[in-house]
Amino acid sequence: MRALWASFCKDLLLLWRDRAGLALLFVMPMALVLVVSLVQNNVLESTGQKAFKVLFVDQDRGEAGRQLRRRLEQNGGMVLVSSLGGRPLTAPEARELVAAGVFQFAILLPGGLESDLQQAVEKIGQQILAGAEAAPEAPAKVEVCFDPTVQGVFRTAVLASLRHALLGIETQRRGRELATAMAGQSGRAVNPFAGSPLLQVAESPAGQALLHPNAVQQNVPAWSLFGMFFIVVPLGGALLRERQQGTLQRLLCLPVSGWPLLSGKLLAYASICLVQFGLMLLVGRFFLPLLGTPVLQIGAHPGVVLLLSFVSALAATGYGLLVGVLARSYEQASMLGAISVVIAAAIGGVMVPVYVMPSGMQRLSQLSPLGWGLEGFLKLFVRGGDLASVWPQVAAMLAFFSVTLALSLLIFNGRHKKGG
Amino acid sequence: MEPFLRVESLLHRYPGMSGPAVDGLSFGIAPGEIYGLLGPNGAGKSTTISILCTLLQATAGTVRIGGLDPLRQATQVRRLIGLVPQEIALYPQLSARENLLYFGRLHGLHGRRLLQRAESCLALVGLLEAADRRVADYSGGMARRANLAAGIVHEPQLLFLDEPTVGIDAQSRRMILENLLQLNREGMTMLYTTHYMEEAQLLCNRVAIMDRGRVVVEGAPTGLLEQHADCGTLEELFLQLTGRQLRD
Repeated sequence: MRALWASFCKDLLLLWRDRAGLALLFVMPMALVLVVSLVQNNVLESTGQKAFKVLFVDQDRGEAGRQLRRRLEQNGGMVLVSSLGGRPLTAPEARELVAAGVFQFAILLPGGLESDLQQAVEKIGQQILAGAEAAPEAPAKVEVCFDPTVQGVFRTAVLASLRHALLGIETQRRGRELATAMAGQSGRAVNPFAGSPLLQVAESPAGQALLHPNAVQQNVPAWSLFGMFFIVVPLGGALLRERQQGTLQRLLCLPVSGWPLLSGKLLAYASICLVQFGLMLLVGRFFLPLLGTPVLQIGAHPGVVLLLSFVSALAATGYGLLVGVLARSYEQASMLGAISVVIAAAIGGVMVPVYVMPSGMQRLSQLSPLGWGLEGFLKLFVRGGDLASVWPQVAAMLAFFSVTLALSLLIFNGRHKKGG
Repeated sequence: MEPFLRVESLLHRYPGMSGPAVDGLSFGIAPGEIYGLLGPNGAGKSTTISILCTLLQATAGTVRIGGLDPLRQATQVRRLIGLVPQEIALYPQLSARENLLYFGRLHGLHGRRLLQRAESCLALVGLLEAADRRVADYSGGMARRANLAAGIVHEPQLLFLDEPTVGIDAQSRRMILENLLQLNREGMTMLYTTHYMEEAQLLCNRVAIMDRGRVVVEGAPTGLLEQHADCGTLEELFLQLTGRQLRD
């Protein structure tokens, strides 16, 4: 136990004195979480997953414009901006702002919209009363001005939302005209829009969802895992330095088994991983919201979060050990470690969620320990999971740790006892 | 007298190498003796030390240290031995004192005894004043002296020294040699390898000149020089026995 404690303290002290290494371990993942969460938060806004700002210039100021504004705002997808700096926007100003990329969309309602619309529906009413087919009219036009860099799906979503609102207004006006016409014939006023809607969409998440996934819920655990697995670089480097500087030779001559020495080292690095993870959770919980992102929610089982973090830390240190044993030079250790972690992160869904990957890559992602960890954290943070639901991920991480540890010892013993 | 260290017909072959690195090596070291293992590069000195320190498994042969088999009783053997490797086998980001305390703890020392041993080893090698500076900031000579201190912190009965004075200034070398003689006077047995023949002549009770994994000649330095009257120094004898061609 004394040897384990001595080894643990020594490695913590060495890490503490390696300021560059510590910076890599703490600053890098934090910077990644901050930057990527903020960027993705903005992307979510710009892909319609969050309310975004659209310029709305009503040059008519009639009932149709007011109805359109109300319907668009009720949809919840847009925040309509009609004035800037306390001054109402004009159509040319709105076009300029969109052309400059300051806003991505402007909805421009022409003057005379209400009267044109009213005339059109009255004409339709008269034609119906006369028993004639409603003749096609030149429709009143609502202009949508958009930034050409905006992604297609986003543009489609905005146009669909606008069309939906306009269709609603048009249907209401036609129905009202028809009802008025029919009331004139039968002597009874009828409102065809009275009562509740006949059809409705009910949105429900599959399984138990605590909240909608957002950039913070995805990025904090994802980049925390990435940072934790980056421990392979300093750990692999430390093991290699011990080999190259001869300290390993001295350690192997000691009358203690290698287990306490190795365990002390792995626990020291795993502790760093846990501190790293804790700090990242604090960033997600307290710092990111100051920059306008949602607050990180960690679910109802903090103990399970800690367990999953610990096994993730073990998996990361186990892999670091393997890299340190395999590499023949510090350059090899840092390259092999860093590149393999980046690849595992990419296929594990750290950078892009697994569900948007092609099916082949989705199958490949099942091989990534970062993917297992992320899946576990998302279950806990987003889907309301508990120990039973993340047990497969915990077991997979422990198995990964055991395999990397066993492989490392096998390779190390093979090399050292035979002098390879 | 029963040798403290006994090596018989030791053979070691590295995987992929055509010839053996150590080829039927036999020698013994009596308690309290300083035994020099001399030889050109590739003679098998470091391989022999690695086997004796339980770091490497010999292909064949017998080794006994204090009557123990290093292969089967490695932990007991490790309690008896100390190693001063060729490299500065210390953590450069730790101070000399922190290094000594760490290695001392792993040797089972603790509490007041550990502090005393670290202090006395630092004093012995003249590093008390610089004990709290990081080894990375030491000169070559200071680092070598700290390396020696880490090898003796647990007071081993048998100390292996693998070229402990390579690349240092004359003052540090002189101090290390004096320290070794003092430790030997206190009863420590030593196996010493070096390329500096005058060191071996000054320090060792007996030397073995090795070449290509075998002992070419063995005996007390004065006795060997008497046997080879044409050689005035151990270095001349060494060159005569191992040749003047370069060994890279």
